[in-house]
Amino acid sequence: MRAAGRGYGGMTARQFVREAQGGLDLREFYSEFFSRLHALQQDYRLLVTMAEQAAWDALPASRPGPLRGLPFSVKDNICTQGIQSTAGSRILEGYIPPFDATAVARTKHAGGILVGKTQMDEFGFGTFSTNSGYGVPKNPLDPSRSCGGSSGGAAGLVRALDLPHVAMAESTGGSISCPAAFCGVVGLTPTYGLVSRWGLIDYANSLDKIGVLARSVDDCALLLEQMEGFDTKDSTSLKRARTKDYRQELDLRKVKIGLPKEYFQGVDAGIARTVQGAVDALEREGAKVQEVSLPHTKYALAAYYVIATAEASTNLAKYCGMRYGQTLPLEGKFNEFFSRVRTRYFGDEAKRRIILGTFARMAGYRDQLYLKAFQARTLVIRDFERAFKQVDVLAAPTMPLLAPKFSEIASLTPVEHYQMDILTVAPNLAGIPQLSLPCGELQGLPVGLHLLADHLNESALLGVGRAWERLTRPVEEG
Amino acid sequence: MNAKTGELAMAGEADPAGIMIGLETHVQLNTQSKLFCGCANPVHQDAEPNTLTCPTCLGLPGAKPRVNERAIASGIAVGLGLGCQLAKEMFFSRKTYFYPDMSKNFQITQYEVPLAAQGSLEAQGKAIRIRRVHLEEDPARLVHGPRGTLADYNRSGVPLLEIVTEPDFRSPAEARAYLQKLELILAYLGVAGGIFKSDANISLHGGERVEVKNITGTKEIEQALSYEIVRQSSLARRGQKAVRETRAWNPDLKITQEMRGKEGEAEYGYIFEPDLTRITLPQETVAKIKATLPELPDQRYARFLKHYALPPKVAESLVSDLDIALLFEQVAKEVDPKVAGTWLAGYLKKTLNYNELSFKASGLQPSWIVWLLQLFVRGGITDRNAEMAIRRMVDEQLPPQEIIQKHGLAGPVEDPALLVRKVVEANPRAVEDFRKGEAKALNYLVGEGIKASKGRVDAATLRKLVLQLLE
Repeated sequence: MRAAGRGYGGMTARQFVREAQGGLDLREFYSEFFSRLHALQQDYRLLVTMAEQAAWDALPASRPGPLRGLPFSVKDNICTQGIQSTAGSRILEGYIPPFDATAVARTKHAGGILVGKTQMDEFGFGTFSTNSGYGVPKNPLDPSRSCGGSSGGAAGLVRALDLPHVAMAESTGGSISCPAAFCGVVGLTPTYGLVSRWGLIDYANSLDKIGVLARSVDDCALLLEQMEGFDTKDSTSLKRARTKDYRQELDLRKVKIGLPKEYFQGVDAGIARTVQGAVDALEREGAKVQEVSLPHTKYALAAYYVIATAEASTNLAKYCGMRYGQTLPLEGKFNEFFSRVRTRYFGDEAKRRIILGTFARMAGYRDQLYLKAFQARTLVIRDFERAFKQVDVLAAPTMPLLAPKFSEIASLTPVEHYQMDILTVAPNLAGIPQLSLPCGELQGLPVGLHLLADHLNESALLGVGRAWERLTRPVEEG
Repeated sequence: MNAKTGELAMAGEADPAGIMIGLETHVQLNTQSKLFCGCANPVHQDAEPNTLTCPTCLGLPGAKPRVNERAIASGIAVGLGLGCQLAKEMFFSRKTYFYPDMSKNFQITQYEVPLAAQGSLEAQGKAIRIRRVHLEEDPARLVHGPRGTLADYNRSGVPLLEIVTEPDFRSPAEARAYLQKLELILAYLGVAGGIFKSDANISLHGGERVEVKNITGTKEIEQALSYEIVRQSSLARRGQKAVRETRAWNPDLKITQEMRGKEGEAEYGYIFEPDLTRITLPQETVAKIKATLPELPDQRYARFLKHYALPPKVAESLVSDLDIALLFEQVAKEVDPKVAGTWLAGYLKKTLNYNELSFKASGLQPSWIVWLLQLFVRGGITDRNAEMAIRRMVDEQLPPQEIIQKHGLAGPVEDPALLVRKVVEANPRAVEDFRKGEAKALNYLVGEGIKASKGRVDAATLRKLVLQLLE
């Protein structure tokens, strides 16, 4: 990294935007930025597509808005007009959307510059980004380890880039929090419906949420401020006035933190200790801490996988080689043709989830699986409702283990693989906002602190997050 | 149309032929835009293929549906028109199956809870129970041609209403009468767009139920069901049983053909449509639709009987065509309603049917009809020539004044007695026959008189004059 890079290195996104608005030479910055990006891509394969030319084309027209000149990457399952969007799947190789996702359009409108599409598990199906159709992204902290998933490329890029940048990511069952924890960055998963899903390539529509991976809580807040808000193009987007500013810090003496006891069971002992240490530090600053119980947590994983795969198996039906993406010569009957295309271009995990999800919604199983899962989901939501009557924020470990080595991942069975999501699926089922923060290290690897708040209480989440950052690594606020 | 008549029909035993038929009818709605996107509804225009499309109706990755509230309002109007109970809360489901006309390989439809249910429709004196009425999206249109099969997504996402009956029909004729009445009610409600297609479930003597798909319109339903009854009966005569299967109606060959058997029965794996929220129908909205619901055929029939004192057959005929019913009300303001009713239900409809035209398409103006009938009532034109005038008006697209003048269909005959004398002199053999007592000869002479007067002298007058002359 040259001198200029070091100059940008410590900047928050807001500081960078202020510089850009003040006449910083964006061309010089982007030369630096892309040479760095090319180098990182060589080393870690964090992107599916680099949008270098598009970025250069967008620069002269970059709007003087609140994200003026700020580089942003986009998870590959979020549609970007004119830039290939594959959701990490070979079946969509070469697919160039004719429209921007609402979140992308709003970010561009605020002055953000799209720099590339980040790696992910195919359609979001995974916890380690090992199910990508475009090679496996490597953790910049240790290339023999996973970035986490499914937004692995986004978290890895945030970790590796020593330059201002925010990553637009997406979570269905923990796909922002998990890689945030494994890469030691900040991951914000907003309330379901806060950010429009228009343009998000669906995994499980009732669970999918667009969020942010970034270097700091404030960087996350900055992008959320621009992305959030009602959108007529997404019926599930929430009709409410936009919160224009998420910059408030909370007085920890007024905050009640709950520790859900179920979330410390079966977790790596070192991780549990590290998270407990972080909570102790917040308590010393005046926060009230108490234990709470979320008794239906044990049903969350099964309910999540039934609902998510049932929805996914219908979402993936449209990929059949007929209208877009990959295809094959037309031969035989239509269903034989569809099967050949799908057999050839879907990865193993996509096929596994199509089969699981189709089974869960078939006549004869639908009542026991699909409809039962909705009942379990309701119980999980009630657990959180009860908890948030007692406390403002819940704190738990994000992941039950540290970023694993690829060799370790290879020996996991699919069920063991799914169990990695045990701490993140319940809040995702409930659609409540989540913030994963780095809270310490074990064996040189980061540990994630998972903060959860009630629906639309992003302010509390970000407020506690800021307080934690001030305690651990003071960042000069913009 | 109430629950009670529905129960009566239900209580009715299967007839001796043991025929049980139920219908599922799909009708396109005429909303301005499609069901789940803002694209124009192609029922209103003849658009080039694939020009009325967007990411949503093409099923592009990342696109989402949003509900067209006008389509829901149309569905509610139909539900109310069929005396249904409306759902308190609405939601949509995904019906997943693979077919090349499907943009997403799932159809957004209503499964667990339909928009409306438990209604009834009375056709030819029989109450047919309506099981459910629900909204769904039309798939794309497949066009089979020399270049192979092409898909036109203009139709993808057009709002469809599916109306399902209980198995209450005991003959193909009953099914046809029901469809005609349903089509009429939809016309009165002003919601129907285009295609009107039915699938029929039919069983004989409690045997297996056979589904016959893709029957278009009201004529074909009778043909398709009759064919299927003959097919199933002849199976029975040969000692075979009808198997549970799905067959397709082939309108060119006028037969039903095997589509798939029981083992091929579709498994749709319904899930709740997660991109759409549940919709609670606000009471005010329903009340407003109810208040603005137009008069329906049965109500209009009753009013015509009471208000205009029309004969039941005439009232029924007028009501069975919305354009004609509306024309009648306009004409009856200026012409004796009984004359207007008889003429519109009789000669006018006959002429339109002959030309296969609707009143709207015929080019006839209401003012033309009023003028002509007023002339007739005054005795200024004969019955025969007034009918002739209607036919010529349709053929030549001219007002009655010009038609009558052009073809000399009315106006005074200077001396009818002289005209009769000439007819008698020119037909000595008929006169001779008459004197021998052949009644037909008189009719012949009267007919010759009508011809000679170009219909301007009516038959009664001519008969009187002929008799006077010969006796």
